[in-house]
Amino acid sequence: MAFEIDNIFKTYQMGGVEVPALRGVSLKVDKNEYIAIMGPSGSGKSTLMNIIGCLDIPTSGHYFLEGEDVSTLKDDQLAVIRNKRIGFVFQTFNLIPRSNIFHNVELPLIYSGLPASRRRKLAEEAIEKVGLSDRIKHKPNELSGGQRQRVAIARALVNNPSIILADEPTGNLDSATGEEIMGIFDQLHKAGNTIILVTHEHDIAEHAHRVVKLKDGLVESDEIVRNGRYAEALQDA
Amino acid sequence: MQSFSDTIESLKIALQAIKANKARGLLTTLGIIIGIVAVVTTMTAANGLENSFKESISVLGSDVLYVSRTPWVHSGRWFEFRNRQNLTLKEADKLKIQLKKAVAVNPLTETRRSIKYRSRVIDDVSIVGTTDKHIVVSSGVPDYGRFLNHYDVEYKHFVCVIGSEVKKRLFETVDPINKKMKVGRYDFRVVGVMEQQGGAGMFGGPNFDMQIYIPITSFMKAFGGRDRDFDFVVKAPSTEALPDFEYELVGEMRKIRKLKPTDKDDFSINQMSTLVAAYNNVMGVVVMIGLLITGVSLFVGGIGVMNIMFVSVTERTREIGIRKAIGAKRRTILTQFLFESSVICLLGGLAGVILSFGVTALINSTVMPASISIPIVIVALAISVLVGVFSGIIPAYRASRLNPIEALRYE
Repeated sequence: MAFEIDNIFKTYQMGGVEVPALRGVSLKVDKNEYIAIMGPSGSGKSTLMNIIGCLDIPTSGHYFLEGEDVSTLKDDQLAVIRNKRIGFVFQTFNLIPRSNIFHNVELPLIYSGLPASRRRKLAEEAIEKVGLSDRIKHKPNELSGGQRQRVAIARALVNNPSIILADEPTGNLDSATGEEIMGIFDQLHKAGNTIILVTHEHDIAEHAHRVVKLKDGLVESDEIVRNGRYAEALQDA
Repeated sequence: MQSFSDTIESLKIALQAIKANKARGLLTTLGIIIGIVAVVTTMTAANGLENSFKESISVLGSDVLYVSRTPWVHSGRWFEFRNRQNLTLKEADKLKIQLKKAVAVNPLTETRRSIKYRSRVIDDVSIVGTTDKHIVVSSGVPDYGRFLNHYDVEYKHFVCVIGSEVKKRLFETVDPINKKMKVGRYDFRVVGVMEQQGGAGMFGGPNFDMQIYIPITSFMKAFGGRDRDFDFVVKAPSTEALPDFEYELVGEMRKIRKLKPTDKDDFSINQMSTLVAAYNNVMGVVVMIGLLITGVSLFVGGIGVMNIMFVSVTERTREIGIRKAIGAKRRTILTQFLFESSVICLLGGLAGVILSFGVTALINSTVMPASISIPIVIVALAISVLVGVFSGIIPAYRASRLNPIEALRYE
């Protein structure tokens, strides 16, 4: 079991009014699953992603990450969980602009306190996995969008997390580059990683083997789609 | 506990951020630079003054007590002392006999007269009537020639020993020994020139190099002895024995003055430490005012840095969000910004210290001897870091508490 979400509610206070974003969501995800979370805006998928990514905690309900209840942790404890167990890939890449590629990828390892030699090795491996070894000294603004997203993926990978959480990872890319990036996620999945895609694009979601659809803060459907176009190709490979 | 690599990272980020905003940093630190220059200059000047002061009073000697009609340092209590009897030469002689422990008892008196050699005149020069014991109780010695001797005093010789500056100004290149000069209306023969004693009378005290010493007996003959007030300079066996010695001196003086046990002393005992204490009081106030002004400029400088740190935090809200998302703890973010403000202020402090060396060199060449000491530099740099921490703490704290979700959404 990668994680389990049990009857989670999340309510925001907005000008004295309580606005429910999640109204009792439950979800079990096994190791090495490849899940897409879909839903229109306002469906609560961002809120759910924030909770899965330990950026936020639920108002009620439980979230077990690899068996540990993380739904009541404090800020700094959540920071440790994010650092060690979650790899984020954002729509807007979110790289540190002043730092070069190597340093961007190395950063989570610095926060987990690894010695420099070990950090170098792990960061270089992660960068090699996304095929950017020749750009290691470049700054993010010297790279194309697709390359930046690869850097972000390398950064997500570098701490060997339990979950890779990708929020609209192709939203800022043209479709060809998007496919290229999705190819990397497919590879990562094949290599044994658990991947959560948050998207509203169907052809992106089709890369996943399971699609969870949210609507109005509830799970509307939860389907296994093992016969998706790319899944098929992957199974053949 | 924050890891070492974490701290290094915070420092690197801080340096990077400062490097990226050089002009802004420079303008921001201007207040700090001015403040630090003020700190260093104030402390250096205070040190310089203290050194000159100590030098100028060291002539008085630390093992010497002065018996006088009034205390050197008093705060407007003139009426208490004005009816006191003058000290007389007779009393000095009695004291010499009764206070056996005294190494020497030297009566002194002073007047101001113009002096003249050939056509050169200097007005208002301090003329000191003293005895051959003068060089026992004070640290000054003749540079050449001799000092007054026992016979000069005994036989009321009209001879004088002149200060080094008197020699320079009145005689220039002429050898003054055995030359006749006029002191007031009287001719005195120069028998010696004192070595330079410095101190230049900076604190309104006597400028020893501008004094002329004549036998006390000749003094009274020339300038009158009736109703004249004397000071007795009494040398103790050692500096350590001074407190006990002072007690005995007071006792003997009371006997000489025939005071009843209930009477208050009608004379005063003065010593170098009284002046030092008075000086310290005055300098304390001066330094306090200096530091107050300095404090204000550092405070204003600190506010400037705080302002810039708020800008820096706002500018990098998104970056803070990213760092938090990938695992930076509150403390990590806090240190990052504290390092930034501290390094900005430390650089300002360094610039201030460097500028201060220039200012001090200027003071040194114009006003008085002054030099920056290592402790002052260390204190100045410590203060600048402290200002950095003080002005960075609120922005840094705010940064550390940012919600990562909102920070990531920030455009």
